[in-house]
Amino acid sequence: MPKLIIDNIPVEVAPGTSVLEAARSVGITIPHFCYHPALAIAAACRLCAVKLLDGPVKGIQMSCALPAQDGMVVSTTDPEALKMRALVIEWLMLNHPHDCPICDEGGECLLQDFTIAGGHSRRRYQGKKRTFQNQYLGEGIHHEMNRCIECYRCVRFYQDYAGGTDFGVMGSAGRVYFGRFQEGPLESPFSGNLVDICPTGVFTDKTGRFRARYWDYQFAPSICQHCSVGCNTSPQNFQRETIKIVGRRNDQVNGWFICDRARFDKSYLNDPQRPREPRLDGATCGYDVAVDAAAKSIAEFVRNNGADNLALVGSTRLSLEGMILLVQLAEAAGGARLCYYDDPAQQQGSVAAAKLLHEESAAYVKDIEQAQWVSLHAVDLMEEGPMLALAVRKAYLAGAQVFLVAGDALPVQSTLPFKYTAVETLDQVPFEGGGKGVIICGAGSKDPDLLAEMASSGAKLVMLQPGANGFAAALLAQEHAAVPLAELVSSRQVRGVVCFEADVPEVLLSELEVLASADWRRGPVEATSPIFLPTTTWVESDGTTINYEGRAQRFQRTRVAGLPLKGLDPKYYGSATEAVALHPPHVHRKEVPGGAERDAWRVMAQLIERLGGEAVEPLTGKWHALKSLDPEGEGARIFEMGLGE
Amino acid sequence: MIPETLKTSLQARVASAITAREAAVDVMKELQAHYGWLTDEAVEEAAALLGLSPLQVEELATFYEMIYRRPVGKKVIHVCDSISCWCADCDKLIQYLKDKLGVGLGGTTADGMFTLVPCCCMGMCGDSPAMSVGGTPYGRLTPELVDEILEMERKKA
Repeated sequence: MPKLIIDNIPVEVAPGTSVLEAARSVGITIPHFCYHPALAIAAACRLCAVKLLDGPVKGIQMSCALPAQDGMVVSTTDPEALKMRALVIEWLMLNHPHDCPICDEGGECLLQDFTIAGGHSRRRYQGKKRTFQNQYLGEGIHHEMNRCIECYRCVRFYQDYAGGTDFGVMGSAGRVYFGRFQEGPLESPFSGNLVDICPTGVFTDKTGRFRARYWDYQFAPSICQHCSVGCNTSPQNFQRETIKIVGRRNDQVNGWFICDRARFDKSYLNDPQRPREPRLDGATCGYDVAVDAAAKSIAEFVRNNGADNLALVGSTRLSLEGMILLVQLAEAAGGARLCYYDDPAQQQGSVAAAKLLHEESAAYVKDIEQAQWVSLHAVDLMEEGPMLALAVRKAYLAGAQVFLVAGDALPVQSTLPFKYTAVETLDQVPFEGGGKGVIICGAGSKDPDLLAEMASSGAKLVMLQPGANGFAAALLAQEHAAVPLAELVSSRQVRGVVCFEADVPEVLLSELEVLASADWRRGPVEATSPIFLPTTTWVESDGTTINYEGRAQRFQRTRVAGLPLKGLDPKYYGSATEAVALHPPHVHRKEVPGGAERDAWRVMAQLIERLGGEAVEPLTGKWHALKSLDPEGEGARIFEMGLGE
Repeated sequence: MIPETLKTSLQARVASAITAREAAVDVMKELQAHYGWLTDEAVEEAAALLGLSPLQVEELATFYEMIYRRPVGKKVIHVCDSISCWCADCDKLIQYLKDKLGVGLGGTTADGMFTLVPCCCMGMCGDSPAMSVGGTPYGRLTPELVDEILEMERKKA
């Protein structure tokens, strides 16, 4: 373990650690642009210069590309190093436009920070700046090449890390240009990360440009709810609108990056058409009136038809809190049936996967990255868990063999960022003991016997759940003997349902009486339900999800619920007695327009109370340990907490 | 479209390389010789031959100064403006070339014979100032010598 001294602080680091990383480990940030922990070293920007006063090498060195060695004495504040860095920043700024006020990166720009930190405040260069034509790169990303400082982060990410081939670096010397061969949308499903990774404003998020500055945003640690990988994100909100979503580091899940779906697919959160008002028989009403009515309707139905004929329908979209309270609500309703899935095949596969996975068998992301072989079993990875494709790519680049078993059903446009061998059955994958291999499959709609066969191979397993919180649904479905809704309907066991964030297919719906429904999105259930209770999305609530590997992660409320202020109809400011004025009233009001929504689990808790049950906290009993999970931490696998099978 | 014979010989060249990428420069030069310059079509053809994306070929094509991504004259004059030649007053030489040919840097003469481009060192520092015309290097240049060389190159063409 090399021991060195940085700014008079003795540091001991693992072999191979760079001086820059060693300094960072004791809280010293050496300015840098091209260095990024997830990418290979380029040593292109020359900004991380330090002076080595003593040891095996001496003088000015680039700290990102210099491995820490025994006996090094490093100064980050030596006048020579300071001068070097000041000159480098001045040189990097030669061509950079003075357009910070109209640049969307302003305020969250590494170049701004280090220009100020480097002490460069007076322009000496009076020559012409080099300029470029920008390219159209699709609807996600805006291109502004004039701002480029040639750190090569974008191309190293796009081609090396994410395996894209349609974006790169062209030209040489002062004409270096980062773009595409011809204008057009970026093809990589990870292209949005260019926004996060660019140290300045060359790539900005087109879906949220010019809406707010960094200091305007409200944000909190959140978890993406698009698939069961559970990538860590940070939604940036302004005036009740989710403007941008950026990646948040979690080395156990998504590393530094997120896929484009996580980043750009957010319009439904801000949708002015989102059902935000509680409704009773088609008319808007107060929330408590709707809850009372729902409780009454449930009680009445149970009295007339028996609790057996009633099903409480949840889904894999619900937070763990909601799923737990659904069980208690069923009890409070006198023993109503529980559903977390409508499709029997999905429940069967999902539950089988949750049963098969345990601490030894469930693959960590590191296991995928370091695997000797990876077998994808009839899974559309770009659909079911895009970020795992990057983990498989790491293994592939390190020499792992990748197999795609029975992959004919895959859509052609899903190009994977690694090469693979297509085989027909699992038997054709040369296991060789299985020790360092990983099998990746989708758990939903899979035959449990097939899943068990995979588990018996001795390989590490990734079984992607149907739905973001499918693992939790599987645990609860198993524990409380939940039955898929389709089964209950076909055997005519239930006639009435209460839905909580459940997407019941219309075929089933036609055979059922919906008593009440709670959801944050529109749909056939919401449309047919006589009582509607609007709920919050994950950006507007606290909650817990369990991802495909059994990792429980907490997310926090990132903003209050309610209609985005932008484009808000003046009627929301009007009063019932006076004519609607175009200007908001000059008086304070406490309620947020459209902000009546409540968390699904709180709605359930209120229903439980109304039905004569005990007031309940969801994360109690065996779930108590999850309550103290740090939303900014790495989460915890439930097996470690004794919560798995 | 390139003729089938050229395509077959290029395919053989790519097949004999350990990685396709290392044959890229050869493929680009052959296609450039065929078209006169490396057209957009040629970039895509090279990409198909090499199993790369057009962008990845473009990255290489735009890096090398002897791959021309725009139409050029029959012969390209690369005149060095790097440090050794600069010490030998290449500025004056470049000005002389511009005046003589009636074009700026990057321009092609009206008769389509010469295109004048600067280059950054061709390893002839000992014979600076230096240039190359249609691939033939010339050193220790003077205005008189330049006149002679251009005359000769024009006749040879």
